Amino acid sequence: MRFSSVTYLAKQGLKNIWTNRIMSFASLCILTVSLLLVGFAVLFVENINLFVGNIEDKNEVILFLEDDISDEQIDEMGNRLKAMSNIGSVTFYSKEEAFQDMKAGMENAEELFEYIGDDSPLPDSYRLRVNDISKMSTTLMQINELDGIYSVKAPTDFVSVLTGVRSLIYILSLVLITALIVVCLIIISNTTRASVDFRKREIAIMKYVGATNTFIKIPFFIEGLLMGVFAGIIATIITWLGYDALVDVLMSDTTLWGALGISGFIPFSSVAVRTVLSYIFAGAFIGSIGTVISTRKYVKV
Amino acid sequence: MVELKNVSVTYQNGVEALHNVNLTIHDEEFAFVVGESGAGKSTLIKLLIKEIDASSGSVKVNGFDLGKLKQKDVPKLRRTIGFVFQDFKLINTMNVYDNVAFVLRSIDAPLKYIRKRVPYVIGLVGLKDKMKAYPSEMSGGEQQRVALARALVNDPKLIIADEPTGNLDPKTSIEIIQLLQGINQCGTTVLMVTHEHELVKRFGGRTISILDGQIKFDDII
Repeated sequence: MRFSSVTYLAKQGLKNIWTNRIMSFASLCILTVSLLLVGFAVLFVENINLFVGNIEDKNEVILFLEDDISDEQIDEMGNRLKAMSNIGSVTFYSKEEAFQDMKAGMENAEELFEYIGDDSPLPDSYRLRVNDISKMSTTLMQINELDGIYSVKAPTDFVSVLTGVRSLIYILSLVLITALIVVCLIIISNTTRASVDFRKREIAIMKYVGATNTFIKIPFFIEGLLMGVFAGIIATIITWLGYDALVDVLMSDTTLWGALGISGFIPFSSVAVRTVLSYIFAGAFIGSIGTVISTRKYVKV
Repeated sequence: MVELKNVSVTYQNGVEALHNVNLTIHDEEFAFVVGESGAGKSTLIKLLIKEIDASSGSVKVNGFDLGKLKQKDVPKLRRTIGFVFQDFKLINTMNVYDNVAFVLRSIDAPLKYIRKRVPYVIGLVGLKDKMKAYPSEMSGGEQQRVALARALVNDPKLIIADEPTGNLDPKTSIEIIQLLQGINQCGTTVLMVTHEHELVKRFGGRTISILDGQIKFDDII
């Protein structure tokens, strides 16, 4: 196709937006609302994931070591634990520290501690944080292969609950976002169909004079693409202002969030670039494909 | 050249619109196709531009065998045909120049050629002064002239005029047919469909009469 034809078609796409400005405005509004629905759903799911992630970070596995283990063996075990990919932090907790902490925590038990004496009856231990709790059982199997461990205390119930919650959130968000995208596509294809229907006479004339389907579809494609990009920009601005305002309102009372172990929400600035790009690409994709799908019926003359 | 051999068209609802039609229109001919409403004139036009396919028989237009022509190649066929419709079918949001240039743009013609060819053709139909006018600002006769210029601009081998005088007064109708005759004298085949017998009698020439989907008369009057 000649460059002059491409520029002509691009100009036609732009001109079409203005010529059919009422339909264009309707499409723009629906596209923007659709993008906002999906965008806020994604941000909601990401925040939920953040909260679950915060709770997950509080997991702790305790390895009680055998009494006759040497210092070298303890160090070696520490190194092997640190080398495991799913273990985030490794802290050694000596039997002396444990005994001191126990004494500090039981103020009215002097008689008991006198009877026990100065030697700690508690075992040395390692305290670990697991990175991905869904791989907890595999990690525990690796830990159990190490020599010198007397027993392992792991929050397996906590892990199974959290893994279940995460799976549920994943499935729900997938269903919610898919449903929203399908609804958006249906609404947009109907809106653009009305816009295309308005110009079916024009399309029919183009067909009679020998225009190819591609030539007919390009202005509609450009029109849809531009509308999508505009909708993406508007949706970004609304999300930016709306999301930050919403977070400000929610964070005005931190008592509830503190009780739930939530320190804060995802700041918009940390997802701004991703949001802008996603909105613009999604808008351009839905807008252009929606209009091209809608023109299919009319190019069959 | 148009050639129909044993062509029948039966629609899905069972109506047989054309029955065993044999017709040849040679290059540079001018022919009238006459018939009452429902006789099969519109079906014949739809057949020639491959808007519909023949149920049986063969149709050849400007060297294209329409029975074998793939859907993606239909634009190539239509670029060899110019259309003139009863209701002009102009794009109301475009001025005269753009309505005519639209055809050449649709077939990806060079910009230089468009700038040279469009004013020339608009001049041929006598509308040089109205290049920037919009269809709504023009009379029916002027709009049909624009439609003629649009049909001509691509230098087609065949012009199909479907009731081009149907919406015009007698004086303007005569002017339009004279223009079509002028185009024909320059070497373009013209097939004019009409139900106005008086006009046909006045101009004379090859006349094909269709009745109930069959050719009842095909001769020079």
